Amino acid sequence: MILYTMMPEHLIFQTDSSEYTKQKVIYYDGIPFLVEETETKEWQIVRNLSTNPADFLQQKYAPGERFPSSFET
Amino acid sequence: MEKERYIAFESESDPNREKNEQVAENIQQLGQTNVPQMTQDTNIHCLTIVGQIEGHIQLPPQNKATKYEHVIPQIVAIEQNPNIEGLLVVLNTVGGDVEAGLAIAEMLASLSKPTVSIVLGGGHSIGVPIAVSCHYSFITETATMTIHPIRLTGLVIGVPQTFEYLDKMQERVVRFVTKHSKITEEKFKELMFSKGNLTRDIGTNVVGPDAVQYGLIDEVGGVAQAMKKLREMIDAKKSEGTMLQ
Repeated sequence: MILYTMMPEHLIFQTDSSEYTKQKVIYYDGIPFLVEETETKEWQIVRNLSTNPADFLQQKYAPGERFPSSFET
Repeated sequence: MEKERYIAFESESDPNREKNEQVAENIQQLGQTNVPQMTQDTNIHCLTIVGQIEGHIQLPPQNKATKYEHVIPQIVAIEQNPNIEGLLVVLNTVGGDVEAGLAIAEMLASLSKPTVSIVLGGGHSIGVPIAVSCHYSFITETATMTIHPIRLTGLVIGVPQTFEYLDKMQERVVRFVTKHSKITEEKFKELMFSKGNLTRDIGTNVVGPDAVQYGLIDEVGGVAQAMKKLREMIDAKKSEGTMLQ
Protein backbone atom coordinates (compact mmCIF):
# COMPACT_ATOMS: atom_id res chain seq x y z
CA MET A 1 0.00 0.00 0.00
CA ILE A 2 1.32 3.41 -0.93
CA LEU A 3 -0.22 6.42 0.73
CA TYR A 4 0.28 9.63 -1.19
CA THR A 5 -0.15 12.12 1.59
CA MET A 6 1.83 14.83 3.27
CA MET A 7 0.49 13.75 6.67
CA PRO A 8 3.24 12.27 8.84
CA GLU A 9 3.12 8.53 9.37
CA HIS A 10 2.54 8.82 13.12
CA LEU A 11 -0.69 10.76 12.50
CA ILE A 12 -2.09 8.07 10.21
CA PHE A 13 -0.92 4.99 12.06
CA GLN A 14 -1.12 5.95 15.69
CA THR A 15 0.96 3.92 18.07
CA ASP A 16 -0.74 2.03 20.85
CA SER A 17 -0.55 4.01 24.07
CA SER A 18 1.00 1.03 25.91
CA GLU A 19 4.12 1.51 23.76
CA TYR A 20 4.75 4.86 25.39
CA THR A 21 4.69 3.51 28.93
CA LYS A 22 7.48 0.99 28.26
CA GLN A 23 10.22 3.58 28.54
CA LYS A 24 10.68 6.37 31.02
CA VAL A 25 13.28 8.82 32.25
CA ILE A 26 14.57 8.32 35.77
CA TYR A 27 17.50 9.53 37.84
CA TYR A 28 20.07 7.04 39.11
CA ASP A 29 23.08 8.38 41.07
CA GLY A 30 21.87 11.83 40.02
CA ILE A 31 22.28 11.01 36.33
CA PRO A 32 19.26 11.02 34.01
CA PHE A 33 18.66 7.77 32.15
CA LEU A 34 16.12 6.56 29.65
CA VAL A 35 15.16 3.12 30.97
CA GLU A 36 12.99 0.17 30.13
CA GLU A 37 11.44 -2.19 32.66
CA THR A 38 12.64 -5.78 32.49
CA GLU A 39 10.71 -8.93 33.40
CA THR A 40 12.64 -9.10 36.66
CA LYS A 41 11.29 -5.68 37.71
CA GLU A 42 14.64 -4.03 37.18
CA TRP A 43 15.43 -1.04 35.05
CA GLN A 44 17.53 -1.61 31.97
CA ILE A 45 19.37 1.41 30.62
CA VAL A 46 18.39 2.38 27.08
CA ARG A 47 20.16 5.71 26.91
CA ASN A 48 22.36 7.75 29.18
CA LEU A 49 21.10 11.33 29.01
CA SER A 50 23.96 12.92 30.95
CA THR A 51 26.00 15.74 29.44
CA ASN A 52 29.05 14.82 31.51
CA PRO A 53 31.30 12.75 29.23
CA ALA A 54 32.87 11.06 32.28
CA ASP A 55 29.53 9.39 33.04
CA PHE A 56 29.83 7.45 29.82
CA LEU A 57 33.12 5.86 30.83
CA GLN A 58 31.62 3.85 33.67
CA GLN A 59 30.43 0.37 32.92
CA LYS A 60 27.46 0.58 35.25
CA TYR A 61 25.99 3.48 33.29
CA ALA A 62 26.35 1.81 29.88
CA PRO A 63 23.27 0.92 27.82
CA GLY A 64 22.10 -2.62 28.55
CA GLU A 65 23.10 -2.47 32.19
CA ARG A 66 20.42 -3.21 34.75
CA PHE A 67 19.77 -1.93 38.22
CA PRO A 68 16.93 -2.57 40.70
CA SER A 69 14.09 -0.10 40.52
CA SER A 70 14.63 0.72 44.21
CA PHE A 71 17.94 2.39 43.27
CA GLU A 72 16.06 5.10 41.47
CA THR A 73 16.61 8.52 43.03
CA MET B 1 11.91 -5.30 50.29
CA GLU B 2 13.15 -5.52 46.77
CA LYS B 3 16.46 -4.00 47.71
CA GLU B 4 17.01 -6.56 50.50
CA ARG B 5 16.39 -9.41 48.14
CA TYR B 6 18.82 -7.96 45.67
CA ILE B 7 21.62 -7.59 48.21
CA ALA B 8 21.08 -11.14 49.49
CA PHE B 9 21.40 -12.40 45.97
CA GLU B 10 24.66 -10.54 45.46
CA SER B 11 26.26 -11.76 48.68
CA GLU B 12 25.36 -15.36 47.90
CA SER B 13 26.91 -15.48 44.49
CA ASP B 14 30.57 -15.88 43.73
CA PRO B 15 31.87 -12.48 42.54
CA ASN B 16 34.07 -14.07 39.88
CA ARG B 17 31.28 -16.04 38.36
CA GLU B 18 29.08 -13.00 38.40
CA LYS B 19 31.74 -10.99 36.61
CA ASN B 20 31.98 -13.60 33.90
CA GLU B 21 28.23 -13.57 33.51
CA GLN B 22 28.34 -9.82 33.30
CA VAL B 23 30.93 -9.96 30.53
CA ALA B 24 28.90 -12.56 28.65
CA GLU B 25 25.80 -10.40 28.96
CA ASN B 26 27.67 -7.39 27.66
CA ILE B 27 28.96 -9.27 24.66
CA GLN B 28 25.45 -10.48 23.96
CA GLN B 29 23.87 -7.08 24.28
CA LEU B 30 26.48 -4.67 23.08
CA GLY B 31 29.11 -6.61 21.19
CA GLN B 32 31.76 -5.19 23.50
CA THR B 33 33.27 -6.25 26.78
CA ASN B 34 34.43 -3.21 28.63
CA VAL B 35 34.95 0.50 28.60
CA PRO B 36 37.68 2.14 30.68
CA GLN B 37 36.77 2.76 34.32
CA MET B 38 37.40 6.24 35.55
CA THR B 39 35.53 8.99 37.28
CA GLN B 40 36.82 12.41 36.62
CA ASP B 41 35.25 15.77 36.95
CA THR B 42 35.33 17.51 33.65
CA ASN B 43 35.05 21.19 32.78
CA ILE B 44 33.73 20.45 29.30
CA HIS B 45 30.31 18.93 28.93
CA CYS B 46 28.97 17.28 25.83
CA LEU B 47 25.43 17.58 24.53
CA THR B 48 24.34 15.11 21.88
CA ILE B 49 21.57 15.95 19.45
CA VAL B 50 20.74 12.62 17.81
CA GLY B 51 17.92 11.11 15.80
CA GLN B 52 14.80 13.17 15.38
CA ILE B 53 14.17 16.39 17.20
CA GLU B 54 10.89 15.74 18.94
CA GLY B 55 8.28 18.43 19.02
CA HIS B 56 4.85 18.61 20.57
CA ILE B 57 3.89 15.09 19.54
CA GLN B 58 5.66 12.33 21.42
CA LEU B 59 7.26 9.90 19.02
CA PRO B 60 6.86 6.15 19.57
CA PRO B 61 9.74 4.66 21.62
CA GLN B 62 11.30 2.87 18.64
CA ASN B 63 12.33 6.28 17.28
CA LYS B 64 15.61 7.69 18.43
CA ALA B 65 14.72 11.19 19.47
CA THR B 66 16.13 14.27 21.15
CA LYS B 67 13.47 15.71 23.39
CA TYR B 68 13.57 19.41 24.11
CA GLU B 69 12.24 18.90 27.61
CA HIS B 70 15.47 16.98 28.34
CA VAL B 71 17.85 19.25 26.49
CA ILE B 72 16.63 22.65 27.70
CA PRO B 73 17.04 21.92 31.45
CA GLN B 74 20.48 20.48 30.67
CA ILE B 75 21.49 23.72 28.95
CA VAL B 76 20.20 25.66 31.96
CA ALA B 77 22.21 23.40 34.29
CA ILE B 78 25.34 23.91 32.18
CA GLU B 79 24.87 27.68 32.31
CA GLN B 80 24.45 27.59 36.07
CA ASN B 81 27.18 25.15 37.08
CA PRO B 82 30.38 27.11 37.76
CA ASN B 83 32.55 23.99 37.23
CA ILE B 84 31.48 23.70 33.61
CA GLU B 85 33.52 26.01 31.42
CA GLY B 86 32.60 24.91 27.93
CA LEU B 87 30.09 22.90 25.94
CA LEU B 88 30.62 20.62 22.98
CA VAL B 89 27.48 19.96 20.93
CA VAL B 90 27.61 16.78 18.88
CA LEU B 91 25.05 16.56 16.08
CA ASN B 92 23.86 13.61 14.11
CA THR B 93 20.26 14.42 13.41
CA VAL B 94 17.74 14.14 10.63
CA GLY B 95 15.89 17.20 11.82
CA GLY B 96 12.36 17.31 13.11
CA ASP B 97 10.12 19.84 14.76
CA VAL B 98 10.87 23.40 13.64
CA GLU B 99 9.86 25.10 16.87
CA ALA B 100 11.65 22.62 19.14
CA GLY B 101 14.78 22.85 16.97
CA LEU B 102 14.74 26.63 17.04
CA ALA B 103 14.16 26.56 20.81
CA ILE B 104 17.31 24.47 21.32
CA ALA B 105 19.26 26.65 18.86
CA GLU B 106 18.23 29.84 20.64
CA MET B 107 19.14 28.38 24.03
CA LEU B 108 22.60 27.41 22.76
CA ALA B 109 23.12 30.78 21.08
CA SER B 110 22.35 32.63 24.31
CA LEU B 111 24.69 30.51 26.47
CA SER B 112 27.40 32.67 28.07
CA LYS B 113 30.00 29.86 28.09
CA PRO B 114 32.09 28.96 25.03
CA THR B 115 30.29 26.47 22.79
CA VAL B 116 31.59 24.45 19.87
CA SER B 117 29.43 22.27 17.65
CA ILE B 118 30.53 19.33 15.56
CA VAL B 119 28.42 17.73 12.85
CA LEU B 120 29.08 14.03 12.45
CA GLY B 121 27.18 12.02 9.91
CA GLY B 122 24.35 14.42 9.36
CA GLY B 123 22.98 17.71 10.56
CA HIS B 124 19.95 17.96 8.36
CA SER B 125 16.98 20.24 8.19
CA ILE B 126 16.42 21.91 11.57
CA GLY B 127 19.83 20.55 12.64
CA VAL B 128 21.35 23.37 10.55
CA PRO B 129 20.29 26.21 12.93
CA ILE B 130 21.47 24.13 15.90
CA ALA B 131 24.89 23.57 14.28
CA VAL B 132 25.37 27.27 13.54
CA SER B 133 24.03 28.45 16.92
CA CYS B 134 27.32 27.64 18.68
CA HIS B 135 30.18 30.13 18.85
CA TYR B 136 32.30 27.96 16.56
CA SER B 137 31.23 25.07 14.36
CA PHE B 138 32.97 22.05 12.88
CA ILE B 139 31.88 19.48 10.35
CA THR B 140 33.60 16.22 9.54
CA GLU B 141 34.65 15.68 5.95
CA THR B 142 32.01 13.05 5.23
CA ALA B 143 29.16 14.67 7.13
CA THR B 144 26.28 16.26 5.25
CA MET B 145 23.66 18.87 5.91
CA THR B 146 20.40 18.96 3.98
CA ILE B 147 19.04 22.43 3.45
CA HIS B 148 15.43 22.51 2.32
CA PRO B 149 12.34 24.66 2.78
CA ILE B 150 10.22 23.86 5.81
CA ARG B 151 7.68 21.22 5.09
CA LEU B 152 4.72 20.85 7.33
CA THR B 153 1.50 18.97 7.37
CA GLY B 154 0.00 22.43 7.16
CA LEU B 155 -1.55 21.85 10.55
CA VAL B 156 -0.62 24.33 13.23
CA ILE B 157 -2.42 23.95 16.53
CA GLY B 158 -4.72 21.55 14.75
CA VAL B 159 -5.77 24.01 12.06
CA PRO B 160 -4.48 24.23 8.47
CA GLN B 161 -2.42 27.36 8.07
CA THR B 162 -1.99 29.90 5.32
CA PHE B 163 1.02 30.07 3.04
CA GLU B 164 1.99 33.37 4.67
CA TYR B 165 2.16 31.70 8.07
CA LEU B 166 4.51 28.99 6.78
CA ASP B 167 6.53 31.59 4.90
CA LYS B 168 7.00 33.57 8.11
CA MET B 169 8.08 30.40 9.92
CA GLN B 170 10.66 29.73 7.22
CA GLU B 171 11.85 33.32 7.45
CA ARG B 172 12.65 32.73 11.15
CA VAL B 173 14.90 29.80 10.23
CA VAL B 174 16.62 31.74 7.43
CA ARG B 175 17.17 34.76 9.67
CA PHE B 176 18.59 32.65 12.49
CA VAL B 177 21.04 30.82 10.21
CA THR B 178 22.24 33.97 8.43
CA LYS B 179 22.64 35.79 11.75
CA HIS B 180 24.72 33.03 13.35
CA SER B 181 26.89 31.99 10.39
CA LYS B 182 28.81 33.62 7.58
CA ILE B 183 26.43 32.46 4.85
CA THR B 184 24.48 35.17 3.02
CA GLU B 185 20.73 35.09 2.79
CA GLU B 186 20.91 34.89 -1.02
CA LYS B 187 23.21 31.86 -0.92
CA PHE B 188 21.19 30.08 1.75
CA LYS B 189 17.95 30.60 -0.16
CA GLU B 190 19.64 29.51 -3.39
CA LEU B 191 20.65 26.23 -1.72
CA MET B 192 17.21 25.89 -0.18
CA PHE B 193 15.33 26.25 -3.45
CA SER B 194 17.68 24.55 -5.91
CA LYS B 195 16.24 21.74 -7.99
CA GLY B 196 17.52 18.36 -9.04
CA ASN B 197 19.43 17.46 -5.87
CA LEU B 198 16.76 15.74 -3.84
CA THR B 199 14.13 13.28 -5.00
CA ARG B 200 10.79 14.95 -5.50
CA ASP B 201 11.81 17.90 -3.39
CA ILE B 202 13.76 21.10 -3.63
CA GLY B 203 16.87 21.73 -1.59
CA THR B 204 20.54 20.79 -1.43
CA ASN B 205 22.55 18.18 0.38
CA VAL B 206 25.71 20.02 1.40
CA VAL B 207 28.80 17.90 2.15
CA GLY B 208 31.37 18.93 4.80
CA PRO B 209 33.93 21.00 2.81
CA ASP B 210 31.12 22.66 0.79
CA ALA B 211 29.37 23.75 3.98
CA VAL B 212 32.61 25.48 5.00
CA GLN B 213 33.00 27.02 1.54
CA TYR B 214 29.48 28.50 1.69
CA GLY B 215 30.25 29.96 5.11
CA LEU B 216 27.63 27.88 6.86
CA ILE B 217 30.15 26.08 9.07
CA ASP B 218 33.47 27.50 10.27
CA GLU B 219 35.86 24.59 9.74
CA VAL B 220 36.24 20.99 8.62
CA GLY B 221 37.54 18.89 11.48
CA GLY B 222 37.00 16.14 13.97
CA VAL B 223 36.84 15.82 17.72
CA ALA B 224 40.50 16.76 18.28
CA GLN B 225 40.14 20.09 16.48
CA ALA B 226 36.83 20.79 18.17
CA MET B 227 38.24 20.15 21.65
CA LYS B 228 41.36 22.20 20.89
CA LYS B 229 39.22 25.12 19.75
CA LEU B 230 36.99 24.84 22.81
CA ARG B 231 40.00 24.86 25.16
CA GLU B 232 41.41 27.90 23.35
CA MET B 233 38.09 29.69 23.73
CA ILE B 234 37.92 28.82 27.44
CA ASP B 235 41.46 30.13 27.97
CA ALA B 236 40.67 33.28 26.01
CA LYS B 237 37.58 33.86 28.14
CA LYS B 238 39.59 33.37 31.34
CA SER B 239 42.33 35.79 30.33
CA GLU B 240 39.68 38.29 29.26
CA GLY B 241 38.19 38.05 32.74
CA THR B 242 41.52 38.71 34.46
CA MET B 243 42.27 41.64 32.19
CA LEU B 244 39.04 43.36 33.20
CA GLN B 245 40.01 43.19 36.88
